[in-house]
Amino acid sequence: MRTPDSIITPAPPRGAKRLQFAPLALCAPLLLLLLVLLVWPLAHLLQQSLLLSDAPASGLTLHNFREIVLVPRYRDALLWSLELSLAVAAGSTLICLAPAWLFTRYSFPGKRLMRGILTLPMTFAGMIVGFLVVILLGRAGFIPQLLERLTGQPLLSGAGYRFPGLILAYLYFEIPRATLTLESALAKLDVRLEQAARSLGANRRQVFFWVVLPVIRPALVSTFAVTFSVSLGSFGVLLVLSLRHFSLLPLEIFTQYIAPPTDQGLAAAMSLALLGVAFGAGYGLRRVARRMEGTHA
Amino acid sequence: MKLSRIVVLAAAFLTMTVSLTFAEQTVIQYDCIPNYANWGGVTKAYQKKTGVVVPPDMKGSSPSMAALEAERKSPKADCAYYSGAIGFQAASKGLHESYKPKGWEKIPAALKDPNGTWWTVHTGHIAILVNTAALKGKPVPRSFADLLKPIYQGLVVYDDPRFNGTGFTFVAGINAVLGGGKDLKAGFDYLKKLDPNILKYAKENSYNELLRGEIPIWINADGNGLKAKNVDKATVEVVIPAEGTVTMPLVMGLVKGAPHREAAKKYLDWLLTGEAQLLMAESFFQPVIPVRLDASLQAKFPPKSAYAKAKVIPLGQMAAQADQIKKRWEKEIEGGR
Repeated sequence: MRTPDSIITPAPPRGAKRLQFAPLALCAPLLLLLLVLLVWPLAHLLQQSLLLSDAPASGLTLHNFREIVLVPRYRDALLWSLELSLAVAAGSTLICLAPAWLFTRYSFPGKRLMRGILTLPMTFAGMIVGFLVVILLGRAGFIPQLLERLTGQPLLSGAGYRFPGLILAYLYFEIPRATLTLESALAKLDVRLEQAARSLGANRRQVFFWVVLPVIRPALVSTFAVTFSVSLGSFGVLLVLSLRHFSLLPLEIFTQYIAPPTDQGLAAAMSLALLGVAFGAGYGLRRVARRMEGTHA
Repeated sequence: MKLSRIVVLAAAFLTMTVSLTFAEQTVIQYDCIPNYANWGGVTKAYQKKTGVVVPPDMKGSSPSMAALEAERKSPKADCAYYSGAIGFQAASKGLHESYKPKGWEKIPAALKDPNGTWWTVHTGHIAILVNTAALKGKPVPRSFADLLKPIYQGLVVYDDPRFNGTGFTFVAGINAVLGGGKDLKAGFDYLKKLDPNILKYAKENSYNELLRGEIPIWINADGNGLKAKNVDKATVEVVIPAEGTVTMPLVMGLVKGAPHREAAKKYLDWLLTGEAQLLMAESFFQPVIPVRLDASLQAKFPPKSAYAKAKVIPLGQMAAQADQIKKRWEKEIEGGR
């Protein structure tokens, strides 16, 4: 088997082999920033998560982490978070492929405006998206009222307060992110590959499935990774929609921090668990994407 | 409309920044929700009178207490407003300092701490607020028992008791209203039976959603419903349930180590003046210090007889059980198993 790494990694320029002082010194501000913004808070979280909130003097324990797995409420919140984020990441990646393709390959009147409108939701806070879902799909939302006028039946009334409504809200603010990520990846796609395939007699569908898709697969994977980790961490929508008998891990963290009786240790353990999943998924998927790039270089 | 709230918030933020640049005085009150007990109107009147800005704060009672606890070493707030039991709990955690605002002696003894760590500013009652237009011909529920009927499926909202003091007062008090015992079983059984009719356990203030009819039935404080009906002219009816209700003192306290201590004291003094108390009465919360209401305003309150069966639960008792009640609610009601 050939080693893909040797193909895609460019040979290091001459003189770059030995680490020199100047480049390291230039990186110092970033390293300092990372230390302040990442390492310190993480260390603090880790310390909190290993102590019992009620009895911090009793020493280090994994109790808080065990709680996440053993208490059904927290375990379900973690699983729901995973399910929702997976569904939203897959959905937004698929939905956005067409518009991203359109934006990179074609120029048409109103393209900029359309792109602007499509990317607008990215600037909305989660809670605002929640309010929009209520206006659209709430109990007396625009769509249920319209449907009731048309059919006489109260269809979809209150759908916003159920799981599909939540997925819709998440899709709404992930779509701009997915479009932009995909668009920049598609822009790098070499048109000559498709032209070659076409001139060799492949039809459009064959070109898409056998030429385009394998080449853009890494872009799809990294878009999936980005939308997955962003969905995993957001809960403003849920704060407004307040689905019954349902929770997401970030909302549980919020509750543990601000709604007494609070438990900072548990909240810290949950934060680290969420961070672990997000980092693991992001890192793993990016590795997959790189390997794919390697096999198609 | 929720949008109006966003506008209000944006405007408040703007006035806050403007006031800061002009070095105006500010008093920070945790739990200062413009659409609850007309805090928007009350703080605006104070600003007009004195120039002191009291910006809105959307935290409910419990998150306010949690914030004060977290900021114990460097307090950001000057005073806080809570539904009674949570305020009592915050005071017993040592988050308040003793202060007896002017007019203190006029507050009934049961509605204040003798040391001044909390006192009542006005009183509300848990009521069923009904947007009759949104019911679309269904009968208006007259009692807590009515709310269990299947016709109200997906139409009822009460606030998440972990976040909102009013929601907590309802969850903690319904047991006494229904004549339950110390184990609160009657109350939790009722909440379990009510669950299928619940649209959501709101974590955010739902006043605007009641006005719009998005929420047809909201279990909340009577005063908010009376304001919706009489001031905002919504098709809202305030039902004092046939079984009785819970009296809810709404209390305040001066935060220990308040950054604007002197300004906060003046503000807390003012809240007990006839002028402020009348403003609160005009937004349909019972003033703690008797003020003379004109007959037309008095007529808009439900008759005294409606409150004959109102239960007064000692705040200390509710506060002592608060954590346990919230956890039990989370497990048995919100958890759904």
